[in-house]
Amino acid sequence: MLAQHLPRGLKWLWVFPAILFLMFLIYPIIKLAVTAWSTEMLNEFTDSTVWRVALLASGQAVLSVALSLLIGIPIARVLFNYHFRGRGIILALVTVPFVLPTVVVALGFRSLFGDVVPNGLLLVVLAHAYINIAVIVRLVGAQWSTLDPRMEVTAATLGANPFRVFTSITLPALRNSIVLAASVVFIFSFSSLGIVVVLGDGSSTRTLEQVLLRSTSVLLDFPAAFAAAILQLVVVSLVFVISARMSRNEPRAKVVLGRKQISGRKSMWSVRLTCLVAMIVVISPIASILWASISSSGGITLQWWSELASTSNTRIGSPIAALGRSLGLALGTAVLAAVLGGAIAIAVMSKKGFVVSLALIPLGISAVTLGLGILLAFSRGPLDLRGTGALIPITHALIAVPIVVAVATPSLRNVDPRRYFVALTLGAAPMRAWWTAFGTVFGGVMLAAGGLAAAVSLGEFGAATLLSRTDSPTVPIQIARLLSKPGESAFATAAVLSVILMFITMTLLLIVDKIASRKVFT
Amino acid sequence: MTGLILQVNDLMIGYEEALTPALNFSVGPGEILVVVGDSGCGKSTLLSTLAGVNPPLSGEILLGGKSLSGVPIHKRNIGLVFQEPLLFPHLSLIDNIGYALRSSGESHSAARIRATELLDWVGLSEIAGQKTWQLSGGQAGRIALARAIAAKPNVLLLDEPYSALDPGTRLRLLADVKNLVTREGIPTIHVTHDRSEAELLATRTLTW
Repeated sequence: MLAQHLPRGLKWLWVFPAILFLMFLIYPIIKLAVTAWSTEMLNEFTDSTVWRVALLASGQAVLSVALSLLIGIPIARVLFNYHFRGRGIILALVTVPFVLPTVVVALGFRSLFGDVVPNGLLLVVLAHAYINIAVIVRLVGAQWSTLDPRMEVTAATLGANPFRVFTSITLPALRNSIVLAASVVFIFSFSSLGIVVVLGDGSSTRTLEQVLLRSTSVLLDFPAAFAAAILQLVVVSLVFVISARMSRNEPRAKVVLGRKQISGRKSMWSVRLTCLVAMIVVISPIASILWASISSSGGITLQWWSELASTSNTRIGSPIAALGRSLGLALGTAVLAAVLGGAIAIAVMSKKGFVVSLALIPLGISAVTLGLGILLAFSRGPLDLRGTGALIPITHALIAVPIVVAVATPSLRNVDPRRYFVALTLGAAPMRAWWTAFGTVFGGVMLAAGGLAAAVSLGEFGAATLLSRTDSPTVPIQIARLLSKPGESAFATAAVLSVILMFITMTLLLIVDKIASRKVFT
Repeated sequence: MTGLILQVNDLMIGYEEALTPALNFSVGPGEILVVVGDSGCGKSTLLSTLAGVNPPLSGEILLGGKSLSGVPIHKRNIGLVFQEPLLFPHLSLIDNIGYALRSSGESHSAARIRATELLDWVGLSEIAGQKTWQLSGGQAGRIALARAIAAKPNVLLLDEPYSALDPGTRLRLLADVKNLVTREGIPTIHVTHDRSEAELLATRTLTW
């Protein structure tokens, strides 16, 4: 009904994002496939290297999932079952690691453990679990809060002890969210790059994404890169399929009985202890980075901050120049993503589902694959964009688009289309009526898309490594390079850059959160 | 008083198939025609068709003797209130009520004066500074009614506007509607599945 009455100027606007996606997403993927498809590429699959890396990465990802669940489930239980003061703060705190740039997290762990835990599988798994606590807590907690607590009470009255109640009643009821959360953590850890580059040992922690980056940027071996990309895509798709099959098709729970007050000394201590552990786990790496940025072997110092603009201490370019570059790229990404976000919003409202499906494609394709496709498609011929500086913002905007869709679609679906008709019956011309009904949400989606994409761009490592010139690195690349250098000065400069990156990313995400939670969106 | 009569001749409504027999009725100034029927019988579709949201399958709709065929929704000056108030959340209560006046080219200050009068009329002047989402269901319903009549519509269409409210609030609001329509002389069509509402409001009833 709404589509028929849309203002003439907006009826065909969905074509715009469709063309953008065809041009900057589908065409680069086809171009990559055509360039790399060869017998050499097929031969890569008979070579054991990619399979061995896939197996190693799978093992690492399984361990990361197990540890994330072990830490995340108790926190979810406390945060989504009990009502207590400070609950909101703890929930916000456990979300922080998820939004930090991966190289910053890596630096936090390196700084925290120093020489006690050497680079390798343990450190990689710990860092992955740290980043993904939020995924477990949010997804499992959301389902937990809809469970009817009277089921547990009934089981207890039938003689089940607390452990049996948990394993026989609660855990099966949480199955769908646990499966979903575990799949997300598996995919994240399986295709990890920033963490394994900084914290890995180069052998037991390799991922296909690392093979892909090395094959492209060092060895210039496109067939090997494409083989790794295909295998990664297959594994990711397989995990999605298995996850969908394992989830029971249950009707959505409607019972939301609210959170319990903490009753009894035992419950109170378990809540306090869990919150304390969560706080220590989340804050330690961050505090460690902050400390590293203001300390030296001689004590507390602001030397590393004051030397930020100089190049002498690192010999790999000025950190402040990298910061300026990253901010410029983030701004470009934000503008592009805002335009794309707005166009997707119109596609959602016009019920053009296939445009939304196109926007979700980057979910299944790694950042490096996407960057490689864009590089191949737009580095020669009539559409040579290399000199324009647009390749990184385009890639980052595409990487951010699925997140934009996830954030924006619920707000857009919440808008009652009848508001548009009400505005029309009140005499507003179609364009004004459209703006009255949808303008605020539309503007909010564009702003949120811009902010989210800027945050993604600031922390993105893989595609930026591939697409940026050696002499003009972004901040995450600069951090990774500094960490590969020996000496106190390089490490401390990396810590200073990480603190700045953390601050900007968190500020951006707080602004987006503020926009998204505005009541005018409902 | 708008003084116009809404006339419906052999009107068939629906999407692909007709939901109703051919309808013939007219509503004059100050009259309330209550359409009574069960869910799914086409009551809401009738209102959507009169407002111009749905095209009729056949027949004609005349307002003051002129056909509304081809007249877009925003040029019909027909007020429509849905079951939910659907207030514009980013606008103040005054700007919600004054929306139609601004659409018709009235100045901001003129729209504010009229909106303030209406806010007073619906008994909500003391909450003028509140946001739309801070209102109770009854308060939001009153604002929606004030918004619909602010620009003196030629016809007022009410699609079970207060059915989600508690009975006491609903009866008070329906009494407001009856007062208003009689005072302003607006031809009104009210649809409901509740026969007691029909008895309370109707000048005439229509069923099929």
